[in-house]
Formats: sequence, C-alpha cells, structure tokens
Amino acid sequence: MPALGVRVEGVTKRLGHTLALQGVSTVFEPGRVHGIVGPNGAGKTTLMRVLTGLLKPTQGEVFYYDAQGDVSAAQAKGQTGYFPQEPSLYPDLSCREHLEFFRDLYDLPSQAFESRAKELFDATGMSAFSGRPAGKLSGGMYKKLGLMCVLLNRPRLLLLDEPTVGVDPVSRQELWELVYGFAGQETTVVLSTSYMDEAQRCSKVHILDGGVLKAADTPQALMRRFEVMQFADIFLKK
Amino acid sequence: MKLFFRRVRSVAAKEYKHILRDPFTLVVALVLPLIFVGMFGFVIDLDYKHMRLYVRDNDQTSVSRRFLQEVSSSGYFDQTPLHSPARADEALQKNNTPAVLIIKPGFGRRVKALDPADPARAQLLTDGTDNVQASIIQIYMRGIVQAASSLFTGGAEGASSLIRTRFLFNPELSSRWFIVPALSTVIIGLLAIMLTALTVAKEWENGSMELLLSTPVRPAEIILGKLIPYFCLSLFDVLVVFVLALTVFGIPFEGSFLLYMLACAVYVTGALALGLVISVVTRQQQAAIQFAFAVGLLPSFIFSGFIFPIENMPLFFQYFTALFPQRWFLLISRTLFLSDAGFAPLAPAFAGIGLFACVMIILAVFKFKTDVEP
Repeated sequence: MPALGVRVEGVTKRLGHTLALQGVSTVFEPGRVHGIVGPNGAGKTTLMRVLTGLLKPTQGEVFYYDAQGDVSAAQAKGQTGYFPQEPSLYPDLSCREHLEFFRDLYDLPSQAFESRAKELFDATGMSAFSGRPAGKLSGGMYKKLGLMCVLLNRPRLLLLDEPTVGVDPVSRQELWELVYGFAGQETTVVLSTSYMDEAQRCSKVHILDGGVLKAADTPQALMRRFEVMQFADIFLKK
Repeated sequence: MKLFFRRVRSVAAKEYKHILRDPFTLVVALVLPLIFVGMFGFVIDLDYKHMRLYVRDNDQTSVSRRFLQEVSSSGYFDQTPLHSPARADEALQKNNTPAVLIIKPGFGRRVKALDPADPARAQLLTDGTDNVQASIIQIYMRGIVQAASSLFTGGAEGASSLIRTRFLFNPELSSRWFIVPALSTVIIGLLAIMLTALTVAKEWENGSMELLLSTPVRPAEIILGKLIPYFCLSLFDVLVVFVLALTVFGIPFEGSFLLYMLACAVYVTGALALGLVISVVTRQQQAAIQFAFAVGLLPSFIFSGFIFPIENMPLFFQYFTALFPQRWFLLISRTLFLSDAGFAPLAPAFAGIGLFACVMIILAVFKFKTDVEP
C-alpha cells in the first residue's frame, strides 16, 4: 500500500478562548519525513491532533490522498499511527502485552503479528525487555515501545508528537534511525519537535509560530529564504 | 462481528490485568464487601433491646415487684433501682438513662381493687432528646402494662391483649433479617459505580485514551470491554454477601436463586454502566469518585427503603424513588430472601432495573467521546 499524504486547507482551531491554529494551509507529501517545528505553544500538538482526526477544525478542512487519489478520513484513520506527546502507555502492562493489545485492536492475524513483533523488537533492540512493564522502562525505551505499538499496523501515515522529548542523546539517535528506517514509499512520517537540530533532519519542515504557519519547505531552502546560517536562527531572527 | 468481539475481548483482558495488578482496586473490590457486611450485619442493630431503665418502686408490694418482673422478662429493659426520687431527674439530665419508671404508692392495692375510677398509677419519664427511642420505649411499656394487667386480672380486663399480631416472613421482626438481604444493594451501589467511574477517567488522566482513540476501536467496544471484568467482580461480591447472609447470619433464603442472580446481573449491569457514564462525562478521577459517592451511596441509603420506609415519605418522594434502581433491587432482594414469591409479583421491579440498565448503557456509548475536544 502506498504512503498517505495530507493536504491541510485554511485550518483554524479555537480551543476555548485561544486560537490554537489560524488559517494553516500546507501539504504533507507522501513518502517523506515531515517536521512540524516551533516553540512551545506554537500549535504543534493541536495540528497533530487535527491530522489524526482527534480534533475537528473550527474552520478549514483536511484531505488525505495517495497515488490513486483521495482517501476518506475514516479510511485514513485505520491506516494512521499516532503516538502522542504525553505518556500514554499502560505502566502495568509489559512490552509484549502492549503489542498483543494493539494486535487485537488492529485485528492483525497471529502469523503476521509474530513476524512484525520480532522485526520491531529486533529493530529497537528491545527483545531483552519484552516482559518488562512499561512503567519500568527508561525514557528512550518507553518511546521506542510507543513507536512499536503504532508501527505494528504498518501505518501509511505515521504521526509522532515530540517523540524525542525527555530522551537521552543516544536514544534520540536510535529513534531517528528507526523513524528513517520505516519512512519511505509505504509510510509518510510527520513528527513535531522543538529541537532545531532535529528539524534539519527532515526532508520538509513546516514552521509554526503562535498558531500561524510561517513557512514550509526543505531545511536548506528555509535557511536561504530567512538568510541565516543556522536553522535555529530562523526563530532568533523573527 | 468477529472483529467486534476480538476488540471487546482485548479491552476486557487488558482491564482484567489492570485489576489484578492494582492492589487498591483489589482491596476495594474484595475487602470492602466484608467490611460492609460486618458493619451492617453485626454493628447496626435497629432492634432496641436491653435499654437501661432506672426504677423507683414507692409501693414495695408483691404486686409492684411482680410488675417489675414482667418489665425485666420482656428483655427490652435492664433495670437499675433508684434510691431517692431526686436522682430520677438527675439521671435523665445527665443522660445516664433514656427512661425512669416510678411506681406510685398504693399501686398494689389499686390493682387488686379493680376500680376503674381509681386505677393503679405508675409514671414513665422518657428522654425526649432521642424522640425515636422515647417513642419505642413508650410502645414497649404499653405492651408490658397490657400483658401485666391481663395477668393481674386473670384476663377479665385484658381483652385487648387477646389480639395478637403475627408478622409474616420475619416473625420476630429482626432488623438483621431486614438489613442483610439489602446489603447487596448498597455494596453494588457503591462498588460497581465507583470501580467503573475510575476506569475511563483514569485513561483520560494517564493519556492512554488519546492513543486508544487514534486506533480503530469503537466506543461500544471500549464500553463493553470495560464492563465485563467489573461485572464478574461485582457478581463475585454479591455471592460473597449471599453466602455470608446464609451461613454467618442464618438468614433464610426462600425464593428462587436463579431469579435472584438474574436480578443481581441486571442491577450490576445498570450500576456499572452508570459508573461509566460518570467517568465518560467527568474525565477526571477525583470528580468521578465524588459523583460516584453521591449517586451510589446516597440513593442506596435514602431512596431505596433500606433504612427509611418509602411509604412514609411524602407522595412526591415516593414517585421520585422510582427513578433509582436501588429501590427496585432492594424490593427484589428482600422479597426473594424472605418469601417464596415468583417472578410475576416482582415483574415491575425487574422492569425498573432493566430499564435503568438499558438507559445507562445507551448513555455511556453515546456520551463516549471519540475525540479529544475539550
């Protein structure tokens, strides 16, 4: 199955008295690694939730598509993997029990599950910890388990909200390798981050500030456009 | 359909693991019923017996002593003699006794004379600060006087005492027989609602609901999956109370066990679903637990007939109590414990708990949010 793309058109989202997103329009092309970058409170999580379908836009629309054409939101939901920023795993369930729980939610056949689970345990280096409860994992391992749960279904669209927050540098590196390993013809990756060095690793960066999309392009093109030598200077210069 | 059951089973299995691994839930579910049974079964006794009664016998005849013997043998009063009249007031003022009985001089002579114009006199002073107890003492004493007068007159004047009242199903009117069969109502009312009230709110607070909602799982699957383990746990509690009622308290069970378990199953389902509605609406554990206490505990005590008889309530509240399943389940439970009634007389009560369960399940499913909108 080919990767899913998302087209966001004029999305505004009001949360109480706050305008979390204001007329955001951008395209997340299929098969690429997209970064939503911005300071705290920029609206990254809100945009993530809108892309997942967990928040409905107050104005504007979100369209999903692939090489064949448009895909309905309901169809896209079943083929999207989303790992939220906040801790969202069950502390008392082991890594293996988490995967088994998600296997049933995604209705995966047993054989396919076994081979995918092995593949994911090997790729993350978590095989030795399969019986350890999520509450007793380190920050990096916890994020890896979350990633494993959402990758189990081989999503065509993978949404990761600040996946490297609270993770040591080595684990961050490993997480990035994992993400790049799964991105490609069959999976589009959209991740949000506040780390500028991470933004530069994305093939396309969407800069959000105060709920407004400032720009969206490759990191190199953005540095040229904002006339800066370092990516972080884009925010310092504004 | 296969997919539906697979997801329900998966959510139920996950919930079952949470219960087994959470000591708090286990203690609440398994120890609380025992505490309730102990508290209500042993400690709370609505029968007034062995009340202290200060007695001043100013007659000191064989008749007055015989009368006091009747008072003692009733079992309601433990007598303490008063040696001076002044101490009667003092005893009442200091709350040493709920009542004082003073036998006037000439009591024995007047009893023997049988003159209606000059009856034997005894005075009963009761402490009105506890008006319930004071009324009960007066009723008990009236019965003793009636029985004693019948004894002294050889039955000639005690015609009224020939009228005997016989109470069906609970001949001794033991409050324990009345309370213990109703305990399931309170235990389920509190436990089932409280346990499920926490389960969805906990997922919202832990952040796991956001992850769960991003998967293809549907609200009905989450609701059913969460109901099943708590349903089994609550039915286990019901059985524990049932066995304790029969073995420890010696309460008879006259009705159909199957009918009783059917009623328990329907009532438990309604209570669990109500807990889920609270959880789905509040999304916070603290608020959920407060709501659960309010809607679980209060109606169980106040609007069910557990302590206060519904027929003694103002008309509006008599109808109002019909909204609470506790009222209907309590009726079923007491009836099936103490009489051999079949389904027909209990049909309206079954309809009451059934309707409540259906409404709550529908509410829980429809109120379940599939997004994270505030």
